[in-house]
Amino acid sequence: MISHRDRNAQRISALDERAEVLHLKRDMGIADARAMHPSIDVVEADPEADRRLLEGLADWCDRYTPLVALDEADGLFLDVTGCTHLFGGERAMLDDILSRFFHQGFDVRAGLAATPGAAWAAARFCGDRIVEGGEEEALLAPLPLAALRIELSTRASLESVGLRTAGAVMAAPRAPLARRFGALLLLRLDQALGRLDEAVSPRLPVAPLSVERHLAEPVTLTEDIERLVGMLAATLKTDLERRGEGARTLALLLFRVDGAVSRIAIGTSRPMREPRLIQRLFHERLAALEQDIDAGYGFDLVRLSVLTSAAFDMQQADLTGETIDDGADIALFADRIRARLGEGAVLQPVMVESHLPERAVAMIPFTEAPRRITPPKKPDRLQAPKTIFPPERPIRLFRSPEPIDVPATEMPEGPPLNFRWRRALYRVTRAEGPERIAAEWWREAPSDEAASTRDYFRIEDADGRRYWLYRQGLYGGASQVPPRWFLHGVFA
Amino acid sequence: MAMTAVARETVFALRRQIAKIEGTLPERLAAPAAATSDADVNTDLTIVRRGIAAALPDAFLPIGVERLDVALSGGLPKAALSEIHGTQTRDAGAVAGFALSLTSLILKQTPGLPVLWIGTTEIFREAGFPYARGLHGSFGIGPEQLLFSEAPRLVDALWVAEEAARMTALAAVILEIRGNPQRLDLTATRRLHARAQGAGRPVFLLRQAAEPEPTAAPVRLIVASAPAAPRDTIAGPLAGSIGRPAFTLTIGKSRTALPGQFTLEWNPDERAFDERAGDERRGEGRQRAKNPVPVVSLSGRGKDPAAASGAVLAFPAVGSPAAISPTARDQPSRPQRAAHLGPRRAG
Repeated sequence: MISHRDRNAQRISALDERAEVLHLKRDMGIADARAMHPSIDVVEADPEADRRLLEGLADWCDRYTPLVALDEADGLFLDVTGCTHLFGGERAMLDDILSRFFHQGFDVRAGLAATPGAAWAAARFCGDRIVEGGEEEALLAPLPLAALRIELSTRASLESVGLRTAGAVMAAPRAPLARRFGALLLLRLDQALGRLDEAVSPRLPVAPLSVERHLAEPVTLTEDIERLVGMLAATLKTDLERRGEGARTLALLLFRVDGAVSRIAIGTSRPMREPRLIQRLFHERLAALEQDIDAGYGFDLVRLSVLTSAAFDMQQADLTGETIDDGADIALFADRIRARLGEGAVLQPVMVESHLPERAVAMIPFTEAPRRITPPKKPDRLQAPKTIFPPERPIRLFRSPEPIDVPATEMPEGPPLNFRWRRALYRVTRAEGPERIAAEWWREAPSDEAASTRDYFRIEDADGRRYWLYRQGLYGGASQVPPRWFLHGVFA
Repeated sequence: MAMTAVARETVFALRRQIAKIEGTLPERLAAPAAATSDADVNTDLTIVRRGIAAALPDAFLPIGVERLDVALSGGLPKAALSEIHGTQTRDAGAVAGFALSLTSLILKQTPGLPVLWIGTTEIFREAGFPYARGLHGSFGIGPEQLLFSEAPRLVDALWVAEEAARMTALAAVILEIRGNPQRLDLTATRRLHARAQGAGRPVFLLRQAAEPEPTAAPVRLIVASAPAAPRDTIAGPLAGSIGRPAFTLTIGKSRTALPGQFTLEWNPDERAFDERAGDERRGEGRQRAKNPVPVVSLSGRGKDPAAASGAVLAFPAVGSPAAISPTARDQPSRPQRAAHLGPRRAG
């Protein structure tokens, strides 16, 4: 028995069959129930966990149709339009769903109808019923008002005027109903009867293309899954070829026998349709996820979906049947690295117009897009003047400038004579600078410490190592904070 | 290095004997008479090029410094794993700089191909992340040619490196590792080396703060930074300035097993190495390290600012003995400067 807290009282929110036998009911107070039967077992409700379980079931129901929607806390909508023939008709499909859920240990009620409203009512009030198109009115008429999916308050006021069944509401004149009980009642009624279309919004975006394979014998080995991916990708290739597209994002769904669903997605740098390459990408991904995927008793359904696709450029192969394209090799290489190590595993630098050294280069995940698109030429007057000798920059830059201890400088504004970095003392033999880099006032607030001016020095120590130091802040400034020294990079 | 001509001749004769026994004598040395006729170092050294490397005419990347190229029997092998060591983490700048200058030389031959730099998170945190602006300025490697891969674990970094080493679409692969991890053993380096050989692309293994240990790399170079020469100006070296990057290079391992220590200077404008040759020049560098020139301008020294202010000239007139500042005295004046010290930028 499961309880929940409602207005400062513990009430029964759900109960099992044995509790029903004891004449306990939902919304009954726990105190009352305990008074009747002291030995009952009460568990606190956990709506979050219920939600997760329902989502897990929704994932599993993906095997029947890609259009699965959650219905409040305890229901699922499956839009099976055009899917039933794959399972041998509506009856067979419904039986399949019910039996599989039963074997997983769930007690499920299902209804199948032409409209979501009618199916909802059929599942909750009739049980395992298939409603043919046009029969909705006959189905709904004897059912209580709750079958109309209307609010509790509306239901109560309808009952207070003597309308106790859906049929009575249907028979009543529409205009007074709308005026008195709001438009929602009529909307629900029309939706249930099919006069208005009701869209079920699926939980996950529907893949434009997907192929799947039902397996008589569940697979557990990673190699078998990879081989299946190769076979599915080969099927997918013909579809992609027909559309003149290549896949940019692919998802592999593994349905475990006991209902758990693993979802593995990969992205590609350029549109891809070659089964061998897709299989290799999933090989890396599966290798990386080896610990996380629990095959359990095996997977009995494997589905490969193309989530996003893009136009595929055909290439002319030369006479030996090979195309020479270094870019493709690198894109493929980057995809494999990313499939295994994550999106940020291959980075490329992009120059950014900024005076601050750490902002002047941005690292972005490898894509091919910026290499192909040349930025639009700016008007001349907006372009920064090109210096003949750009300022020298270090070859390595620390992620965050490392504070150093400078005991003394020759001049207050000058370079240090020596400094301590990572507990070692360095003697400065030569220095160049300062190069003053002011903060970007249009970004930082002037009060911010990071917004103070930096004076950079290029220095060489007694062993010939070259460093890039800076002093943050000015002496005698308004803030009265003494300047601090940082080591920002090293030169060759 | 102190080998006499006779001893060297004996060594080469013995090597040739061994090569004949092993049956790996290259075809071009089929006529031994040509080789024995005179002690031409280059011809003799080709004996030690074996296997695939010997078959390819341009299997070696000449570094451009004659003495070093001879010691490495023609340069750095292009299709191989090369180890570049730094003894301390703080030498990371010099080690990376040397590897990048080699990469820059390679990119001269294969322009347009990208370079992949793989490192563990640890080394990028300890030694700094490569900075694309600096790489562009000092080595001419554009941001579009650079790819970085940061791996949290060494295993992942090695895996990425192995995958990258067999790609012909990359100009070079740089793998940066810190210390002497157990995983980077003979087997791991052998795998890397084999893949580099197959693809014909170099793999540079940068090992920061590492002790030399047996690996499959045919060449190991130990790099440290060297004090840079002052900047060249029209009026001679500019006192107190920091010029082109300089490296001290020690050959730790090579096919010829010739030892050697070199001080190389990288010329970012021409993208070429110069050897800081000549004892007088090297002595000067040592002297400079001992007696540093004033850190900033002379007036900042504070000892006798009034006297210095009149005489100091940033650019002394060419050849005029009158304009000698206390610092310029340390430098050789223009006519004394040896002519082979490399081209001046102007004048």
